[in-house]
Amino acid sequence: MNPRKLLFSVAAAFALLATACGGTTSSNTTGNESGTLTVWLMNGSAPQSVVDGVNADFKAKHPNVTVNVEIQQWSDVTTKLDTAFAGSTPPDVMELGNTLVAKYAAAGALQDISSKKGGFQNSGTWLQSLTDSCTYQGKLYCIPYYAGSRAIIYRTDMFAAVGATPPTSIDELATVGQKLMGKYGSDPNFSALYFPGKYWYAAAPFVWDFGGDIATQSGSKWQGAINSAQSQQGLTVLRNLVANLSRADKTGDELKQDQAFAQGHIAMIVANGWEVGVITDPKSGDPTLKDKLDAFPIPSHNAGQTAPVFLGGSDLAIAAKSKQQALAQEWVGLLGGTKAQSQMVTVGGVIPNTTSLVSLSSGLPAKFAAAAKVSRFTPNSPNWANVESANVLQDMLVSIFTGKSTIPAATSAANDKITNILNS
Amino acid sequence: MGVAGDARASVVSRRHMEAGSWRLVLAGRLLPYALIGPALLVIIGVLGYPLGTLLWLSTQHYGLRELLQHQGVFVGLKNFQAFSIDPQFRYVVQVSVIFTIVNVGLSMFFGTCIALLLERVSRPVRVLLSAGLVLVWATPSIPAINLWQWMFDYEFGVINWLLTHLGAGNYIHHNWFENPIQGFAVITVIVVWGAIPFLALMLYAGLTQVPRELVEAAEIDGARPWQVFAMVTIPILRPVFLVLFSLSTIWDFGVFNQVWVLLNQRPNKDYFLISVYSFQESFRVSQYGLGSAAAVVMVAILVVVTFFYVRQTVRLTTEAI
Repeated sequence: MNPRKLLFSVAAAFALLATACGGTTSSNTTGNESGTLTVWLMNGSAPQSVVDGVNADFKAKHPNVTVNVEIQQWSDVTTKLDTAFAGSTPPDVMELGNTLVAKYAAAGALQDISSKKGGFQNSGTWLQSLTDSCTYQGKLYCIPYYAGSRAIIYRTDMFAAVGATPPTSIDELATVGQKLMGKYGSDPNFSALYFPGKYWYAAAPFVWDFGGDIATQSGSKWQGAINSAQSQQGLTVLRNLVANLSRADKTGDELKQDQAFAQGHIAMIVANGWEVGVITDPKSGDPTLKDKLDAFPIPSHNAGQTAPVFLGGSDLAIAAKSKQQALAQEWVGLLGGTKAQSQMVTVGGVIPNTTSLVSLSSGLPAKFAAAAKVSRFTPNSPNWANVESANVLQDMLVSIFTGKSTIPAATSAANDKITNILNS
Repeated sequence: MGVAGDARASVVSRRHMEAGSWRLVLAGRLLPYALIGPALLVIIGVLGYPLGTLLWLSTQHYGLRELLQHQGVFVGLKNFQAFSIDPQFRYVVQVSVIFTIVNVGLSMFFGTCIALLLERVSRPVRVLLSAGLVLVWATPSIPAINLWQWMFDYEFGVINWLLTHLGAGNYIHHNWFENPIQGFAVITVIVVWGAIPFLALMLYAGLTQVPRELVEAAEIDGARPWQVFAMVTIPILRPVFLVLFSLSTIWDFGVFNQVWVLLNQRPNKDYFLISVYSFQESFRVSQYGLGSAAAVVMVAILVVVTFFYVRQTVRLTTEAI
C-alpha cells in the first residue's frame, strides 16, 4: 500500500468514526443520524404489525438509525427497570404501566417532556386518566399509550342454554350464576364465574361500587380506606359470589385464566378486552370459541348501572439518561400518533390514547370501551407501585376467600400497610 | 549425633543466618504470602468486595432515587432496628430456621439411607440407582421446579388426580398452597428431592473408605448391624458428615428458587423465607438498604450456625495431623 493510499484510508476511517460519534450526540432530526434506539415494550401491548408500521415510518425518516424493540414480561419488569435505570445506558423509550409511572418519575428516572407536549398528535384530547398518570408534581413525564378496562367475558351458548341475558345488577349476576351452576355444576371443573383469589383488579370494582376506596389523600398524607364500612360491604358481596360461583384457585392469580377459559369449563371471567384474542388464539386457546363470546360491563348493585372499573393502561416514557432524546420523542410520537393508534383500536382492540379515536372501535372492543366510561384509578403516589409489589391487596383477598381471616381483620391489616407504604 | 553435635549444628545455623542476606530471610518469610497473594486477591475481589458492599448498603437508606444517583443516605443501624419491631420479620426468621432444620434433617436422613443401600445392593442395581441420582442432580433447578409445579397444579395436576384415583380422598381442586404447612411440605419435598443425590453419592464415597477389617472385627466381637453403624461407621464418616451438614445448612437456609418459581414469583407473605423477604424488599419494593440488612442478618445467622461445624472440622483436621 503506498503512503498516499494509506493516508486516505486512515482519513476515511476517521471520517466514519466521526459520523458515528456525531450521530449519538446530535439531536436534530434531519435524517443524518445514526446509532441505535432501544425500546422496551410490554408483552401483549401492541400487535407486531403496528410496531412494524411505526418502525417503517421511522426508518423512512432516519435510515441510519437502528431501532431495537425488546419485549418485556410484566411479572419481573420492575426488577429489570430498576437495574436498567441504575446503569448508564437504560433503554431510550419504555412502556410503563400507568401505576408505575409516578414511582419512576419521582425517582428522576424519566425525562420531563412538559415543553414538548404540544408537539404530540392529539395531545389535546388524550385520555384524562392516562394523562394524570403521566403527570407528577405538575410536570409531564410520559405520553399516554393505550388504555384497557375490564368487563365480564361470557359464553353466549351457555347463557342461551339456561335462558339468561347479560345481568344488569349484582343480584342478577348472582342469580344467573346460580342457574349456570345448576346446569353445569356437576362438572367438578366448572365455574360460572371464574375468579382467582389474587385478582385484585377484578375485585376493586366491587369496593368502588359500594362507595369504598383503596386510600384517600388529604394534603400530602394518605389514609387507607380499604377497611371502611363501604369497602367491607363490597368485599362481602364479592366473597359470597366467589364462594358460590367460582372453583378457581383461591390463592392463584389471573395469569392462567384465559387458558383455563379456553378449556371450556367456565361461563364467565372478568377480563381485559385483549384477552379475547388469547382465548381464541389457535396455539394457546380455542379458536372455535370465537362466535360464542360476548361481554358485558361489571354490573353495579344499583340495577341498570355499571360498577366503576380500574382504567388500566400504559404510557410511553423516555429515560432521562437517554442520549437520543429527539429521536426517542419522535418514535414515541409515532406510536402515540393517529395512524398507529387507529391500528391499535382496529387490530389490537384496545382503547386508544385519545378520545377522538374511541369511536373507531366496534364489536367486542366497543363493549369494553363502553365499560370504561365509569372508571377509576389507583392512588397516584410514587409509592403505589410498592403497594402493588408487596402484594398487600392480593394477600388480603386470599385470606378473605380462603376464610383464613374475617373481612374486618383482613381489611384492617391491609389498611395499616397501605397507609404505611403510601406515606413512607 | 549427641548433645555436642546439636549445639554445633545450632551454632552453624545461627552463623549461617547472620551471614545470609536479610533479603533472603525476608524473601523466605514473605514467599508464602506472595504465593497465596493472587488467590487472596481473587477471593477479596469475588467475595470480600460484594460482602463489604452489602454491609455498607445495609446501613443506608437506599431507595430507587438513591439507586439512580448512586448515592445513599447513611442511617446507621436503623434498618436493623426496623426488623426488631417488625412482627413479620420475626416470623420470617422463625420460619426460615424451622424450614432449615427440617430440610437438613430429612435430606441427611434420606441421603444416608440411600448411601447405605447403594453399598449393599448388587452392582447392576447400584449402577441404575446412581444413574438415577445423577440424573436428578443434573436437572437444572428451574425446569425441575416447573415440573413439580405442574404436578401439584390446582386444576390439572397429576398428584391431585392420582390421590383421588387411589382413593386417598377427594383431591379434585385441592390447593396445596392454601395452607402454608402443606405448601411448605411440598417445597420440602422438592428441596429434599434435589438435595439427596449429592448427599447420597458423597456419603457412599465415604462408606467405601470404611476399612472392611474394622467392621469384621466388630462383627466378630458380636456387634449388631446397628451397633456397627453407630460405633464404627459414623465415627469414621464424621468429617464427611460435618462438611455435608454445614453445606446443607447453608443451602437450605438460602432456599429461594423453589418458593419463587413454585408460587409464580408472587409468594404470599406466609411463604417468605429470609431469602425471599430480602429479594422482595430489594427488587420489588426498591428498598435496597432494607433488603441488604435482611441479607446481613441471614449471613450473621449462618456464620453463627456454621461456626460450630467449622470449629469441629478444624479440630478433626488437627487431630488427624
